[in-house]
Amino acid sequence: MLEVEGLNVRYGSFHAVKDVSFDVRPGEIFGMLGPNGAGKTSTLSAIEGLLKPTSGNIRVAGYDLRQKPLHAKAAMGVQLQATSFQAELTVSEIIRLFAGIYGVPMSADKIEHLLEEIKLADAAGKKFGQLSGGQQQRVSLLIATIHQPRLVLLDEPTTGLDPQSRRQLWERIEAIREKGYGVLLTTHSMEEAEAVCDRVAIIDHGQVMITDQPQNLIDRYRQDPEVLAVSRRGKVTLEDVFIALTGKTVRA
Amino acid sequence: MTSIPSSTNVLGALFRADMTTQWRNRRSAVLSLLVPVIMLISFKNFVSVVGAAYVMSTSITIGIAASCLMGYTNALARDRDKGIFQRLRVAPMPTWAIMMSRLGVQLVTIVVSVLGVYVIGFYIDHIQLTPAAYGFGMLAALIAASAYLGLGQLIVGLVKNPETVNSTTRLVYLSLIIIGLFGERGGLGEEMKTITKWSPYGTVKSVLAAALEPGAWTHDSTIALLATLGYAVVFTAAGIRNFSWTSR
Repeated sequence: MLEVEGLNVRYGSFHAVKDVSFDVRPGEIFGMLGPNGAGKTSTLSAIEGLLKPTSGNIRVAGYDLRQKPLHAKAAMGVQLQATSFQAELTVSEIIRLFAGIYGVPMSADKIEHLLEEIKLADAAGKKFGQLSGGQQQRVSLLIATIHQPRLVLLDEPTTGLDPQSRRQLWERIEAIREKGYGVLLTTHSMEEAEAVCDRVAIIDHGQVMITDQPQNLIDRYRQDPEVLAVSRRGKVTLEDVFIALTGKTVRA
Repeated sequence: MTSIPSSTNVLGALFRADMTTQWRNRRSAVLSLLVPVIMLISFKNFVSVVGAAYVMSTSITIGIAASCLMGYTNALARDRDKGIFQRLRVAPMPTWAIMMSRLGVQLVTIVVSVLGVYVIGFYIDHIQLTPAAYGFGMLAALIAASAYLGLGQLIVGLVKNPETVNSTTRLVYLSLIIIGLFGERGGLGEEMKTITKWSPYGTVKSVLAAALEPGAWTHDSTIALLATLGYAVVFTAAGIRNFSWTSR
């Protein structure tokens, strides 16, 4: 679904992404974890086509992003970190706009049906800014998947949500996986990664340090002295492995 | 097989959304029309002295400059800062479609503004032009708008912060208008008169004045038209070259 090979991104003399390679398979939720400034957003931006990588190959659903950018973009749905839609437009107008951009026929009935599915039937006429954080994320996810993309990119989708909204969003992300789509998500929440991701890659200083299933990572590092040193209450979690691998220092 | 939406569909969807946004922000568009309206009212008793073409061309120049420099430019800077362009750029469409839609909406706004000036000029100043003059005037207004839209594009290309863009456009607008109004009549000296004549304010006004009075088109009008087109090309090229889709 997504193949990233030898990806490099440089900002002047700063090497933000160094030889990153990974893949996302159909029906898989792949998590990209890393501290601030690790290179997650740069990697994601390169996949989304928002920045031009220095080198490397990106293929989305078989389309080379450099050679067939529009085909590759049509095969992916994107939820950016900041849900940025025109503040003057209502929810249904935003849905209509993106349906038009992705070439999806959209009637008023269909919009109503889609909003009912995400339990926002009464929000059609509301401006996007009038919705709560959780409601905004639901609309944002709906728009990211409006054209039934084969790959869905989610950049920190649950940041700032309350536990109920977060759980609800997890269910929606899992429903995307059930449809056979590949999902690539970045997150700071190890709880989220453990709960929904089939595989995760830990990225730091622009490099992929390790890729595996969350439980495999925990099992592999369970006896590691560094992991044991940072673990709390005697139970090793993915967060302990993450902290042991990326260090305790807070990044800017 | 992944299908790519047609450019027509994409442009249609963008244009509809941008027009809706413009309509919901119509108060600011109406406010930018206030200056030319005040101008038309103030010049009511001087039309016979300075001429209808002068009054109309001055009002249209001021209106277009306000709409392009402050309306278009600030909207671009604000939406860029909010990340709206980034959200659109991840979609399967050429990036020129985003700007094309914005420019389309701006041209509609300009047509409406010029028609507004025509109507107010007719009712308040009793200015009645020939149908050809109205037509040429509209055409000249669209050419003039390209110079000011280019200037706006250049500002938003050089300045990232939306607040700074806002203050820069006000500064440029006021400088153009105030120096233009005083300079063109020689109130600031002969040197400033020449500078004003060939500034984006002066050339635009010359083209508009000549277009609104087609019989008075001179060699200088042709040079002013070429200069206006030159400003449009240079400003737009520099603006596009320096433009960044994100303010960060």
